[in-house]
Amino acid sequence: MPSRYLLHFAQAHDDFRLPELQSVAELYGITYSLPPREEDRDPTRPFMVIDLEDEEHARLLARRCILIKAVYEFYGQGSTYDELHEANRKSEPLWTRYVEDTSFRFLVTSSQHKIPQSRQRDVIESFAYMGFLGKIEMKNPDILLICFEEYEDRKGTTRAKYEGDGSFRQVFFGRLLEEGSARQLIGKFDVKKRVYYGNTSMESEISLLMANQTLASPGKLLYDPFMGTGSMAYPTTHFGALVFGSDIDGRQMRGKQKTPGVIRAATQYGTASRVIDLATFDVTHNPWRCGELFDAIVTDPPCKYGVRAGAKRLGRKKELTDHQKELCLQHSLSPRPQKTPLTLRYRDDQPYIPPTKPYELSHLAADLVLLARYLLKPGGRLVFFLPTVTEEYEDVDIYAMLCEGMDVIANSLQDFGSWGRRLVTIKKTTAEQHPPPSFKPPQVEDDQEVHVPAHKDFREKYFQGFKPKLEEEEP
Amino acid sequence: MVRLLTHNILACHAKDCNTNNFPLEFKDVQLEIREAEFNPEFLKGFLPKLEWKALVDTAIQLGDTSLPLEQPEMLDDEFLKNLHHVLLEIHVEEGSMTCPNCKHVYPISNGIPNMLLAEHEIG
Ligand SMILES: C[S@@+](CC[C@H](N)C(=O)[O-])C[C@H]1O[C@@H](n2cnc3c(N)ncnc32)[C@H](O)[C@@H]1O
Ligand SMILES: [Zn+2]
Repeated sequence: MPSRYLLHFAQAHDDFRLPELQSVAELYGITYSLPPREEDRDPTRPFMVIDLEDEEHARLLARRCILIKAVYEFYGQGSTYDELHEANRKSEPLWTRYVEDTSFRFLVTSSQHKIPQSRQRDVIESFAYMGFLGKIEMKNPDILLICFEEYEDRKGTTRAKYEGDGSFRQVFFGRLLEEGSARQLIGKFDVKKRVYYGNTSMESEISLLMANQTLASPGKLLYDPFMGTGSMAYPTTHFGALVFGSDIDGRQMRGKQKTPGVIRAATQYGTASRVIDLATFDVTHNPWRCGELFDAIVTDPPCKYGVRAGAKRLGRKKELTDHQKELCLQHSLSPRPQKTPLTLRYRDDQPYIPPTKPYELSHLAADLVLLARYLLKPGGRLVFFLPTVTEEYEDVDIYAMLCEGMDVIANSLQDFGSWGRRLVTIKKTTAEQHPPPSFKPPQVEDDQEVHVPAHKDFREKYFQGFKPKLEEEEP
Repeated sequence: MVRLLTHNILACHAKDCNTNNFPLEFKDVQLEIREAEFNPEFLKGFLPKLEWKALVDTAIQLGDTSLPLEQPEMLDDEFLKNLHHVLLEIHVEEGSMTCPNCKHVYPISNGIPNMLLAEHEIG
């Protein structure tokens, strides 16, 4: 028999809430059901009531979901206190065991509003019918009962202190099971407190949300092909996974000291032995011996990345649009490796601007999906950010970059107003083995913008490119 | 860093170097042994991905003779512990890896192998 639990969420990163819940539930094999009515699932609201098989499952969610502030055993809700009490009376079998001899504390609180003390007292008294006989304990009560009034978001409006008091949207009531302990990790992984970071480092909360999308846990092997200063590695290894990182620019991973910066930072978090290895290479010319190696690929790709093109592919550089340039500013690009003339080999510790053609974001994404299909085990996940200009969302249409056997399971917008980025989670749904991608840029006939139909051609070419006959025909 | 697990899944990727390009041969190595968490489930899951002969030969070359020449049918604890040590606890910190086929040299410094190719080596 499933029971109902009240989840209190942080009101941040709304679009990540349900994907995170889904991921953490999948990780622990938890079955849950969301409220049937859409407005009760609205991720901008602070509370949601879900069905779970087991109280322990609610606790697991509270320990792993970054966006969960607390979980409660749910006793009732209503748009008025009368409705709430009616529901709470029906829940009596759930709370009757606390009547006799349990110390308790009773809290009446709300979001975005302050409830006057006098009314808090009135509310508490209105629960007198529960007949709790135990001691009231403010410090360490056996149980905490909480009554939470949800007010409409009044952002940007000014009002008198208690204005609108009592005209809440909904009131919820339950018993605290567990505070969400994963939220503390946001402080633990704060970039500024890290011994090694750079201007490409990903903020802590987002990197934790990404880690949850990968289902990171002991025994899993993850890969970040754009490792940089290693932001994805710290939360994922914290959750027990092993991580492999590579980057075209060794300096990003090394920093200035002998022990690589990524290893120093992982040491700070006690997870250095879970960073399996770091290697310098261009992901479009990678040395992987075989596919199906990883449980997840998690990465923040550069908004433009170098294909160190062979001679035949040198040639006209394609200018970025203003929007893309803006995105590149946000995602400031890192310098590249140097070619040392004597050995004709690239050193990985010197600045170098490669003779490259900027690779369009959509192509990068399509390549990444193909690479992931090759490198992931069946059922594995690709989790990555796609910078996107909000109004031009179609331009980096996620569905245009998919290939057979790779399905989008989550797509969360982090909105910065004029621009945003999408955290995309793609699952490898095929058990078939697929070849590695060729990483050939699309053949563009003129300087015109490549638009959606061209993307489609591009993908066609990839598929055809896998057939040797067609490959030979290329100049 | 450069653990034998990594060594076992990297091959030379220079242009037209497609056969006999694995395993890369370690040269002038400096080793370090560092403890890692033992996870038998991970090891069992990774076993099918390994090129066994390459792993055993490389371990022997680096002075570890604990692995059997044939991959055993029975994965007992002793075997898994030895496998764990070889795959995850031996770190090549300095030295290089040479392709048996095209002789490309991939240098390793401070534990990080440089697998970048020069312009003419890219296909
Ligand atoms: C947005 S940053 C990733 C930042 C990283 N998450 C961190 O914590 O610092 C993108 C990285 O991709 C690397 N990069 C660019 N082009 C590449 C390529 N072709 N192959 C591999 N890495 C590349 C850059 O050197 C840069 O470190
Ligand atoms: Zn070679």
